[in-house]
Amino acid sequence: MTAPPRRRFRYLAELVLALVLVVAPFTLPYIGGNSDTLSRILIWGLFGLGFDLIFGFTGLLSFGQAAFYGSGGFISSYLLVSHTIPNVFLALLIGLVGAALIGLVVGMLALRRSGIYFAMITVAFGEMFFFLENSALYPWTGGENGLPNVPKPRITLPGFDFSFSDPWAMYGLLAVLFFVGYVIARRIVASPFGHVLTAIRDNPTRAQAVGHRIQRYKLSVFVIAAAYAGLAGGLEGTLQSYMSPEAFTFETSGQLVMQTVIGGAGTLLGPLVGGALWLYLRNELQSALSLGAAWKLVLGVVFVILIMFLRRGIVGGIADLWHMVRPRREDIAPPMLSEAEEEVAATPHRPPPNSERIAIETRGLGKRYGGIVANEDVTFVVHEGEIRGLIGPNGAGKSTFFKMLTGEVRPSSGEIFLFGQDVTKLDVTAVCQLGVAKSYQINQLFPKLTVRRNLMISALSRARGDFRLDLFRHVDSMDELNADIDETLRLLNLTGRADVPVSALAYGEKRRLEIGLALGTDPKILLLDEPLAGMSPQERADTVKLLKQLAIGRTLVVVEHDMDALFDMADRVTVLAQGRILAEGTPAEVQGSAAVQDAYLGGVHT
Amino acid sequence: MSKSLDLGGAVSRRAVLIGMAGAAGAMALPEIAFAADYPPLGTFPAGQAGDSVFVGIDVPLTGTYAAAGADEQKGIELAIEHLNSGDDLIKAISPKTTKGVLGKTVTSSAADEAAKADIAVQNATKFVQDNKASLLIGSVSSGTAVALNHFAQDQKVIYLPGISGSNDTTGKDCTRYSFRSCFYAYSTSAALAPVLIDKLGKTRKAAYLTPDYTYGHTVYDSMTKFTEAGGWTTVTNQLFPLGATDYSAYALNIANSGADTLVVIGFGNDAVNSIKQAKQFGLLDKMTLVVPYMSPYLVQQVGQDLMAGVYAGLDFYWDIGDKFPLAKQFVDKFEAKYGAKPEWGAHAGYLQIALWADAVETAGTFYPPEVIKAYESGKKYADSTVGPISWRAADHQLIRPVIVVQGKKTADMKGKDDFYSVVEVVPGDGIMQDPKAFGCMLGEAT
Amino acid sequence: MLNWGNFVSQLFNGLVSGALLALISAGLTIVYGTLGVLNLAHGALFMLGGYAGFVAYQATGSFVVAVVVGALFVGLVGVVLERLIVRFFYARPEEDQILVTFGVGIVIVELVRYGFGSLSQSVQAPVLVSPIVNLGFAIYPEYRLLAFAIVAVALAILYFVLYRTRLGMVVRAGIEDSQMVDMLGINVQRIFMLVFGIGAMAAGFAGIINAPIISVTPNVGDDILIECFVVVVIGGVGSFPGAIVGGIIAGEIMSLTSMFNPQLSQVMLFAAMTLVLVTRPQGLFGTR
Repeated sequence: MTAPPRRRFRYLAELVLALVLVVAPFTLPYIGGNSDTLSRILIWGLFGLGFDLIFGFTGLLSFGQAAFYGSGGFISSYLLVSHTIPNVFLALLIGLVGAALIGLVVGMLALRRSGIYFAMITVAFGEMFFFLENSALYPWTGGENGLPNVPKPRITLPGFDFSFSDPWAMYGLLAVLFFVGYVIARRIVASPFGHVLTAIRDNPTRAQAVGHRIQRYKLSVFVIAAAYAGLAGGLEGTLQSYMSPEAFTFETSGQLVMQTVIGGAGTLLGPLVGGALWLYLRNELQSALSLGAAWKLVLGVVFVILIMFLRRGIVGGIADLWHMVRPRREDIAPPMLSEAEEEVAATPHRPPPNSERIAIETRGLGKRYGGIVANEDVTFVVHEGEIRGLIGPNGAGKSTFFKMLTGEVRPSSGEIFLFGQDVTKLDVTAVCQLGVAKSYQINQLFPKLTVRRNLMISALSRARGDFRLDLFRHVDSMDELNADIDETLRLLNLTGRADVPVSALAYGEKRRLEIGLALGTDPKILLLDEPLAGMSPQERADTVKLLKQLAIGRTLVVVEHDMDALFDMADRVTVLAQGRILAEGTPAEVQGSAAVQDAYLGGVHT
Repeated sequence: MSKSLDLGGAVSRRAVLIGMAGAAGAMALPEIAFAADYPPLGTFPAGQAGDSVFVGIDVPLTGTYAAAGADEQKGIELAIEHLNSGDDLIKAISPKTTKGVLGKTVTSSAADEAAKADIAVQNATKFVQDNKASLLIGSVSSGTAVALNHFAQDQKVIYLPGISGSNDTTGKDCTRYSFRSCFYAYSTSAALAPVLIDKLGKTRKAAYLTPDYTYGHTVYDSMTKFTEAGGWTTVTNQLFPLGATDYSAYALNIANSGADTLVVIGFGNDAVNSIKQAKQFGLLDKMTLVVPYMSPYLVQQVGQDLMAGVYAGLDFYWDIGDKFPLAKQFVDKFEAKYGAKPEWGAHAGYLQIALWADAVETAGTFYPPEVIKAYESGKKYADSTVGPISWRAADHQLIRPVIVVQGKKTADMKGKDDFYSVVEVVPGDGIMQDPKAFGCMLGEAT
Repeated sequence: MLNWGNFVSQLFNGLVSGALLALISAGLTIVYGTLGVLNLAHGALFMLGGYAGFVAYQATGSFVVAVVVGALFVGLVGVVLERLIVRFFYARPEEDQILVTFGVGIVIVELVRYGFGSLSQSVQAPVLVSPIVNLGFAIYPEYRLLAFAIVAVALAILYFVLYRTRLGMVVRAGIEDSQMVDMLGINVQRIFMLVFGIGAMAAGFAGIINAPIISVTPNVGDDILIECFVVVVIGGVGSFPGAIVGGIIAGEIMSLTSMFNPQLSQVMLFAAMTLVLVTRPQGLFGTR
């Protein structure tokens, strides 16, 4: 059970794609395709590969990809038309780089916001480029007339000269480029980098909290998408011997989005399929059905229906059908390990806390939200190896205090030291990289990923630091990482559920995974916010046992309302009330404290 | 129409496959013995192998120029119908025509280019590859016309722009395979300026409202050149982005510029909006309106009262029948079929098809270089729907008159379409620039 | 060479055109703020308002009837859209919401084109005293002043509804925390339907108010939508005051830039947005 699941047909998709690309010219012309339509589908598909990386995999909906498509296209076309660069391939490469650089600048601005804001900002940037192309950059772009006479690619070697002037030769070139683009995109998706992207899509806050510098990941993938767009734009210029100003319009971005959604986002091939359907329907609705101007109405209706009912697009729908016929391994009910089997492993031998070294120290820590005081003057010391309980009535400021420790919330006053290092001004990612992790009161998982993938997101931050551009490394080849994940799975008693998507887990399993996500970063300090909430008595007992085991070699701070469980495991307990420390001591001392009983225990337990 | 297209499509797809198999395609087909004199070129001879030849109509049917595009399509389709039936009107321009072209029925199909150059090229590619089109026709903007000019040259298939006002279309972006029949920035300015100076005097101060793209710039350059030579001064030029809806800021600038003449260059909705808002800001009460290059359906959308007194250049106007009987014939036949007067785009489409038929009949073959030679022969058409015309070989621009009109007052209208009185039909000979002035290099025929 | 008379008139004009933008943007921002849905069909609803008003105007010849019918009709369309389509998307990702409204927008535009053709339609502006008024510093169309007044009143009513009524209280609470509103036992479904309707109505209302100024075509809403985005980004998404201030800023930028270099008036708008993004990414009035 310990080996990572290696897929039997790892290169199946590449194989099928290659086959389709080779066979298409010999079959599609029978049903109304031609070399031009096929070539354009490939260009849209290439454009869409980059877009799917940012939208389907990272969850960033950009409505301004036309800016990069147009930039790449006009840069390479201008270089060729002005005879600055005679070689088409070199010009395409420069266009690609140029688009990527523009993507870098636009990305730095647009990625300051996310979600809907991001979508709107990209629309506006796209429009700005359209206006610039038409007016200020007119001497280079030809304004609304575009750039005609873009040459076809040509390979000239000693004794060899080949021009791609034949439309099918051009198709061949595009097919090769698309195939390479697809292979690269697939490598990116399978890389650790790609895994972090999906985590950002599913839950950006948690991705950040487990130690990934998500802003840099977003910017990187934005630039990659711009590069794809730039290449696609340049190819359109050389395909039709003409660089069109429409490349920059909102319609270009909109059509890309629609094609991707129709085809299926997050599948890489979705944009290609969507593009094929779009171009094919547009031709056929006009010529075969003689719909005239109404073609767009029909396509619009098709689009709305697809979004409403086929949520994963055509490719996603086919994949779902395939899995209905041939169930995934993870869909077959896994054999659950009995609790007894696990028990053998769990015999905690916890050394006593090392009282010499301080793990966490806060000095006069406070937080205000406007006029409301959440925490005030909290001075707090936890020694290495200790299990510290943190209790207090609702609204006592426990959660805010935790958030300050992890860097999620910046304190209004006071200082925080971890192992003697001042971390007051560090953000959550940096704090996590120093070895602090928190499990949340309300589950913060990556819902579309499997259990193993969830844990991998945490483990990757430990293995790779907060950011790394390892685009071509395959996660399956990281043996140590996968062994660690297996170990964590075993600890959490989730081994049999490793390949189940989170959405299919039972509540108790989700809670364990929640702890597992924090644990996956191999923290020195583990903060647990109500780890037992909502669990059955049996689950509680198991979890307490797990926590005791985790405490070996770690420092734990636990917020919990289940007093019996907490007093059972904690070495010392701190009581917060109205944002301040009310009392602190061993469980027995705290239970005996009159002040605590008055303020808190008395109110709850009688 | 779509049925014949399907047949044509099936044939051509087979041809594509033959070609792909490397079997030298259509040359092997038996019934094209006459073509043996000429090597295959573009869609020749595959496109003429059967009983019919295909014409690809590439016009905007959605987007901002959709109305003009639909009108143009009607004119083209009427001409094709007339070709196939051997109508007198076509025969008046193309005397050798009997029925069809060189005995072949003409089929056609229209595709929506949405006023976007890349879609226009895409449609044209489909026409050439799937339908083996013998002719491509249509445009409402110079952007698509220029793109298709180059596409035609590349593919060696003749292309005829419909509406295209930029000097570049037969200037720096001219090609051997493209022929423009309609008027353009330079010719309309050259025709209009003397009339304006004659009617309005030499001391006018003109303000311009110009769309910020090539077409707008060329009209502005030509108009200022001719009017300033006649003594006018240009007090302001308000450049607005293509597709602007709010012109208030520009209108205020013009109101404060001291101008007494307002020249509106915008095309389509840009023209509609700029004139409406000029009226709202009182500009039309103080200034004479001049529209050098009037887009189809402008007056219908703006309203006659705003257009009363306007001086404008037109390519064709339905009420020139008293001067040119063929124009009357065309208008009557168009109205009989479609129930409305043609706009000038429909006429441009009709005339282009008729002139193409004449060139092909004269050449006696569809082999494009021969057809081009016939076009370039400089033949004088003594009479047409707009009087005497002829092609200029050096830049493939039709030498043709510009119709200068003045807007009627609502009270003077004799019918709902009686928008203008014709001030002058300025003959084409005097209003053309030197053919090399805008950098035309035609390129090779083969 | 600055012409002060022109400067003052442009300053005033920026305010007037900005107010219209503010009204359209307010509809967009209220819907987003309450329902969390960015309605990309907003531009199409603006266009639809123009056409609905045009039809009513043709039938009755009364501008007042055209405004009322136009706004109500688009409000009704909004309610129907919410019931038929949008409500199934509250639980789905933001991207799906954007995409489905984007698709709905295309369908509305093309339906109108199918029904009315592509030629622009005109609605005659009502004249109270004289079509053109001399303000002293500028000669200005009376209708634009009237439109400014109507828009100001409409914005005031919207403000009143949002800040002084129970519905508004719930709507604003919904902006803060929709789960809380849920817990209060308020019929959120009905509120959402109403709010979407009101947002659509604001767009439709703006569409018919705008109809006498610009010509109404099927594509008239396309560019307006993008300008609204800029307004909302500058003002802060979901902020009602932000939409108003953002609208006026946008109007002033375009108006004043046109004095110096009309070519740049659009580009300057995007430059201003970029500036706001760099210095205050949440927008001038944004909190999140």
